[in-house]
Amino acid sequence: MGHAGRVRATFLDLVQTSDAAPPPDPFVRDIVDILRRVSRLPIEPTLDSELLADLGFDSLQVLELVGEIEDHFKITVPPNDLARVRTVAQVAAEVRALVATPERRA
Amino acid sequence: MIESGTIADALVAAASSDRGVRAIEHDGRASVLAYKTLLAESLQIAGALHARGLTTGDRVALVIPEVADFIRVFFGISIAGLVPVPLCPPAQAGDLPTFARQSQHILDASRASAVVTTADVEPLLVNPVRLKPDPTNTADPIKTVLVDELRAGPSLTRPIAVPVEAPALLQFTSGSTAAPKGVVLTHANLHANISAIIGPRGLAVTGSDIGVSWLPLYHDMGLIGMLFSAVYSGNDVVILSPVLFLKRPTAWLEAMSTYRGTVSFAPNFAYDLCLRRVKPSQVNALDLSTWRAAGCGAEPIRADTLSAFADHFAPAGFRASSFVSSYGLAEHSLAVAFAPGGITVDAVDADRLVGHSIAAPVDGSVQVVRLVGCGCAFPDHEIRIVDEKGRPLPERRVGAIVARGPSVMQGYFENPEATAEALRDGWLHTGDLGYLADGQLFVCGRTKDLIIRQGRKYHPADLESAISDLPGVRPSGAVVFAISRIEDDDEVVAVVEARASVASGDVIEQVRRRVRETAGLELDRIIVGPPGTIPRTTSGKVRRAEARDRVQAGTLPTR
Repeated sequence: MGHAGRVRATFLDLVQTSDAAPPPDPFVRDIVDILRRVSRLPIEPTLDSELLADLGFDSLQVLELVGEIEDHFKITVPPNDLARVRTVAQVAAEVRALVATPERRA
Repeated sequence: MIESGTIADALVAAASSDRGVRAIEHDGRASVLAYKTLLAESLQIAGALHARGLTTGDRVALVIPEVADFIRVFFGISIAGLVPVPLCPPAQAGDLPTFARQSQHILDASRASAVVTTADVEPLLVNPVRLKPDPTNTADPIKTVLVDELRAGPSLTRPIAVPVEAPALLQFTSGSTAAPKGVVLTHANLHANISAIIGPRGLAVTGSDIGVSWLPLYHDMGLIGMLFSAVYSGNDVVILSPVLFLKRPTAWLEAMSTYRGTVSFAPNFAYDLCLRRVKPSQVNALDLSTWRAAGCGAEPIRADTLSAFADHFAPAGFRASSFVSSYGLAEHSLAVAFAPGGITVDAVDADRLVGHSIAAPVDGSVQVVRLVGCGCAFPDHEIRIVDEKGRPLPERRVGAIVARGPSVMQGYFENPEATAEALRDGWLHTGDLGYLADGQLFVCGRTKDLIIRQGRKYHPADLESAISDLPGVRPSGAVVFAISRIEDDDEVVAVVEARASVASGDVIEQVRRRVRETAGLELDRIIVGPPGTIPRTTSGKVRRAEARDRVQAGTLPTR
């Protein structure tokens, strides 16, 4: 992904990279939009950005983010998973799993 | 309301009505628990607890994220003659290691005989970063019981009778870490405080009142203030999951609107959250005209937030005269004073307040502090402001807030040292600072955190509030404290959570200048870190003592 020396891929890299290993992720662009909207700051999320430490989210914004993601993807995030999810990649993985397995949505 | 009695007596009395609790879970699922049904289900759970060998007076912890199941199990434990110990569930504890650590501390300190939980939460109680077992800790291993295992088996025919002087609840206060303090409240304490809350000098609750709450039930304000108040007065109440509210603040106001709620309490931050997150188009769809008691407490009350809320929601029929500012603490069961009928603001000279402990009404163009009045003492209860030697101070002199009366706790569980510190000659030393003006209580900081510099006293809450208003600082993103030094003045330290977009150097300069200008105080050290730097309680209050310890130990992350 990208040129030498670059250690972290941004979401947009992932979306736009056609020949790299991970295919464009249908969730990624939407999640980036939601992250930016909730953050209200000009953030550049990467997959391993931590919501609290790197993107400047506080615990209230994390729950706001969950509410927005639930509305957008028509899913329900189990409350215990909130305490598990720290990075953007984990958010994306969680959303992907919930969308794929409707029985986990409750 | 019953003349006196236990939690079980109150539920039995409520069960003769057709009323009950509507529980709304994190995903919006709702269920109705009529008090009749709740009594039957609680007797069932009590029977199942007895079948597991638990006996009268045993402490039983519960960590249950679901609203309806928490309520069923809480009353089941109580009706079984056991003492409930509510714990914060993982989603509200922050991350999983924090949850595991906090739970372990409380389970150890309470010497709970069992913890009732869910299949989801049970594995999280195993602490991956657990401290080594204390060799002096002789407590038995914690036995878990799943809620689902308690739904079958022989039911008790009636509640186990316990005296009103017996412990009814062991409430662990927020702000505690390695040595959490468990507040012991008796059935008589709860009855006295709830009588005061719903009585004529409190909210003057009638049979037509309907409560609506999103407050956590593991915390006194949600449990006693909203749930018990409804049960003891036999009124309907709607209890929402706190997770639902934090995801969608409108859910609180929609419930007020839909169920014609009349009474609801929340900390200042919740009113602020609604201001920021509920759009004008959503306001128009709400009807808040029935909301007659909009309580605010549990953290400093900001007049600006409440008046902005009243303006924002006026189109929905909200009235500023509905505000009830309040003051209380777990050690006083819950409430110490209420001020119904809208907020009263006392504008005082900032310099004389911080410098001389005098709340002087403002004359001329000076720095002003606007404090919100919290009302007068309840019947049979007393409030005093005292100096360091415990002598009562006159009106408008700032001192320690102390309280006396039937709502005062028995003490901290198995902690005579902390109990002796808090209860002196029958007076509860709240640890808060305040003054009385025309008999009304105004709260302005904490005694233990007082910063003394060259004989002048500074209240950290005032300094933190001034810093948090800066554009480069996150809301409530500041903690200020003093580190004692021998043969020198205290070192005054500010820890600040900066916005990601602002350079640390700029933040330091802003903070230094703001504190100099507003309080005339020169900070010795300013530490800038990302959000999450400042240790907080599960309810979001800053832990000053822990922040100080971490700075001294050099274990605070900075940038």
